[in-house]
Amino acid sequence: MKKRLGIISFFVVIFIAFIVVWNYSYEQGLEEAYTPVIETPTGNFIPSESGAFRRFDDAGAGLDYLNMPVDENHQRTLDTYYDNRAYPGAPPSIPHPVAKERSFGGNTCIQCHQNGGFVAKFNAYAPVTPHPEMVNCRQCHVTKNTTSDFKENGFVKPEPPKVGEGANNALVGSPPMIPHQLQMRESCISCHGGPSAPKEIRVSHPDRINCRQCHLPKHSEQSTVDTNTFLRQFDKLNEK
Amino acid sequence: MYDSVTNRRSFIKKMAMLSAITAAASMFPGIVFASEQEKGIPENANLDWKKGPCRFCGVGCGILVGTENGKAVAVKGDPNSSVNKGLLCVKGYHQIMCIQSKDRLKTALVKKNGKYVETPLSEALDLVASKMKESIAQNGKDSVAMYTSGQSTIPEGYIASKLMKGAIGTNNLDCNARLCMASAVTGFLTSFGADEPMGCYEDIDHADYFVTWGNNMAEMHPVLFSRMLEQKAKRGAKIIDFATRTTRSSTASDKSILFEPQTDLAVANAICYEIIQNGWVNKSFVEKHCSFSKGLTNIGYGLEDKFKFTDKPEKIDFEAYKVFLEDYSPEKVAKYSKVSVKDIKYLAAIYGDPNKKVVSYWCMGMNQHTRGTWINNLVYNIHLLTGKISQPGNGPFSLTGQPSACGTAREVGTFTHKLPHGVVMNEKDREMAAKIWKVPVDRIPSKPTYHATEMFRAVDRGDINFIWVQATNPLVSLPKTSRYRPAMEKKSCFVVVSDVFPTPTTDVADVILPAAWHIEKGGLYGNSERRTQYWQKMVDAPGEATADTWMFIEVARRMGFEDLFPYSKENHVEEIYNEYRQFHEGAKHGMAPLEVLKKESGAIWPYVNGKSTQWRYNAKYDPACSNDEDFHFYGKPDGRAVIWQRPFEDAPEKPDQEYPFWLNTGRVVEHWHTGSMTRRIPVLHQAMPNAYVEFHPDDAKSLGIRNGENIKVTSRRGSCTLPASINERGLPTKGQVFVPFFDENMLINDVTLDSFCPISKEPDYKKCAVKVERA
Repeated sequence: MKKRLGIISFFVVIFIAFIVVWNYSYEQGLEEAYTPVIETPTGNFIPSESGAFRRFDDAGAGLDYLNMPVDENHQRTLDTYYDNRAYPGAPPSIPHPVAKERSFGGNTCIQCHQNGGFVAKFNAYAPVTPHPEMVNCRQCHVTKNTTSDFKENGFVKPEPPKVGEGANNALVGSPPMIPHQLQMRESCISCHGGPSAPKEIRVSHPDRINCRQCHLPKHSEQSTVDTNTFLRQFDKLNEK
Repeated sequence: MYDSVTNRRSFIKKMAMLSAITAAASMFPGIVFASEQEKGIPENANLDWKKGPCRFCGVGCGILVGTENGKAVAVKGDPNSSVNKGLLCVKGYHQIMCIQSKDRLKTALVKKNGKYVETPLSEALDLVASKMKESIAQNGKDSVAMYTSGQSTIPEGYIASKLMKGAIGTNNLDCNARLCMASAVTGFLTSFGADEPMGCYEDIDHADYFVTWGNNMAEMHPVLFSRMLEQKAKRGAKIIDFATRTTRSSTASDKSILFEPQTDLAVANAICYEIIQNGWVNKSFVEKHCSFSKGLTNIGYGLEDKFKFTDKPEKIDFEAYKVFLEDYSPEKVAKYSKVSVKDIKYLAAIYGDPNKKVVSYWCMGMNQHTRGTWINNLVYNIHLLTGKISQPGNGPFSLTGQPSACGTAREVGTFTHKLPHGVVMNEKDREMAAKIWKVPVDRIPSKPTYHATEMFRAVDRGDINFIWVQATNPLVSLPKTSRYRPAMEKKSCFVVVSDVFPTPTTDVADVILPAAWHIEKGGLYGNSERRTQYWQKMVDAPGEATADTWMFIEVARRMGFEDLFPYSKENHVEEIYNEYRQFHEGAKHGMAPLEVLKKESGAIWPYVNGKSTQWRYNAKYDPACSNDEDFHFYGKPDGRAVIWQRPFEDAPEKPDQEYPFWLNTGRVVEHWHTGSMTRRIPVLHQAMPNAYVEFHPDDAKSLGIRNGENIKVTSRRGSCTLPASINERGLPTKGQVFVPFFDENMLINDVTLDSFCPISKEPDYKKCAVKVERA
């Protein structure tokens, strides 16, 4: 009997202690809410390097650059490519009407420009964006609603880099170097592969994948801050 | 640069080399030499990139400007800047194109017999100095005034302040930041006793909720909004848009809540009511770190000339505050705010949840408000009651619209009541300024004179006989320009305008001074998150266009103040910044040394022991905290932040029978401020060629208005005709119309009302009554 009473009282004490501790910690919790700081991954890397393989390994997109047909009747040229930019490297304008002024990339622009494809309405292949994770498209890309200027402007557009045999190679027949900046354009294949690529710069061997094994930028761009956050979170792009 | 003169020696050398190469090439076909290899590699990948802050909004993105042959030809985002990490907006990418505009001001223009005559700059500066001296001699020091800008660089603002307050001895110095940031300043000062946000942009990476108060960030602060969108995609952070108009920001938000103009005051109080009713108050935080106060009510609207108001704060207790809030139950507020009870409770629950981190963002919606100081206070109340402040991911954050509204207007203090450190009313602050400036202390007057609106009223009345406008365009941006344009045209006032381009303000000037643009001069800007950024001159200015700072110094010297302005032309930016830094020494506001700013993409003040302070008032991050607690609001003598009892009060002018619509004004993503720069950028002008008036489709239908039709918008003050825009870029609530103000050909500010917040003196551009008719 004594033994049983001892065991019962032992459990009662444990139970009471449990209640006390529970309540105490609950009260504490109310007082100073626990707000976890989510550590963002750190580490330096060169952002221009991170995008090189993009669009190749993007399983969901199913882009098969190897078997993409070249549509001779709907080819973009480098001239129209540069006409659409204020200077080589500037964000291109939107050369077609936009239906909804307040819409966001995820449900409009990105529909065609993430993976490209033929758009009957514009009789052209949609160019593929190198940065589909950025959905406030019209933060940088704007439409053209008039052809006039407010005041005459004397800005002289720098000549775009030349292309073709001998233009960018150091040696005859050696792989051409990359003659442009890479920031915001890290994904090579977006502009250099598929039916929407300007014909002068379309790559003949998209199956090679590791572009920068052979093609080097003339000037490397190095970053000293952690660009893991904000820039380039490719895989978790626009929620549909 | 190349040297065309080749001397004989190098000619022979080159000839020898060439013949050697030719010989080698004939012997070994296919051989390529180094010089030829380099020739093949394109040159334009090799632009010279120089860092600086963007010229436009207050976000303060880092830019890299590519120059070639002495001309700026390209821009990209600075990947090393923690503000934007390499991304910009369409304005930023194309900014350098404006300086190539053909109508650029390249020489000084002096009005002679109603015509502008090109004049050598030194002669024009002689005239400016003599007119200034003449006015002072005839009508006293307070007859001359200077109106500067949140776009002035730190050296420009500092020299303006030193010239007006230290050398001449008048407080007739105010700036256009009065029109955009003054309520934020008074909000910070009344609640915390120290200006500028406690947090920084890194809050975005930690917050669970972003609540934007009357703020269309997708268009106005697009780079920050993209950072928010990234967190939304990555961590599931949520954006709540609380506004009077449906915009791109609303589309991208998780929830859009619309309210009736002016009732944000009531809704903010209702949120506090709910927080208290549901026991969501962070009691230990409030007990340790907050006090309660109330101020005067029925404080007026500043519509009459020489309007005066001084608030009388009075301490109250928590119980009294609770009683006051009883008028603001969600049920009562829902009746006139048009926000449903459910939505008010939803907002309160977000702020109240102790496990969710919340950042509130706002800009002009709350600041340009006849109760701007109050609504700033009320949003601080919410964060203080819940203790969600001064921690990563938790806090109120007041955004700015101009690149140096913080750095120059607020920190250097180009307001009538301000000094680089403190205010003119304070004797110690005057003594400090007098010591650093090396002027007698009694030269700095102790009484503030004109705030922006009142300054132009004084011009109208004839009380000011000389005004110098720098880096801003008041005849587009002031409210009720229908009064102030004729005022500036009056003969009684000599008008000097320094600008880069002709504007409606230079049109009324007696002397136009050609200013160097952003990258044509060196300088420093300070952005919304207290980040100071330095840039060096990157290209030459055309013609006689000169840095504003240097024109100020030249005029000061011509007025006989040579000894006070001993700076060198080559190095004045550096010399001035080093002099200015003395004002802010210490843990509370220390500024980073120039060597650091040259190397890094900006540094956040307080810069203490070689480190930026990202979260002020939090002992973990802020070395100025000295009370041995977790938080210390050291701006207030008792170390406590103030929770203010501020009621709802109506707008001065509401829609009625005759003028049945609210008029709201603002911006679009393509244009910045009055468009004098962005409209000269072909890409931006072609995207948004003119202003328009937005209607709700129901209103348009009942008035029989079709899209694109010309509509005359009329108030009691003036009218403006613009094409109608129905359900395009923005969708105002029923009974409201919206007009962007960037278009100098469609001056909507002829229509707006010059009522202002009596505490901050900041005008309300967001609310007045208008009627609309087909033109």
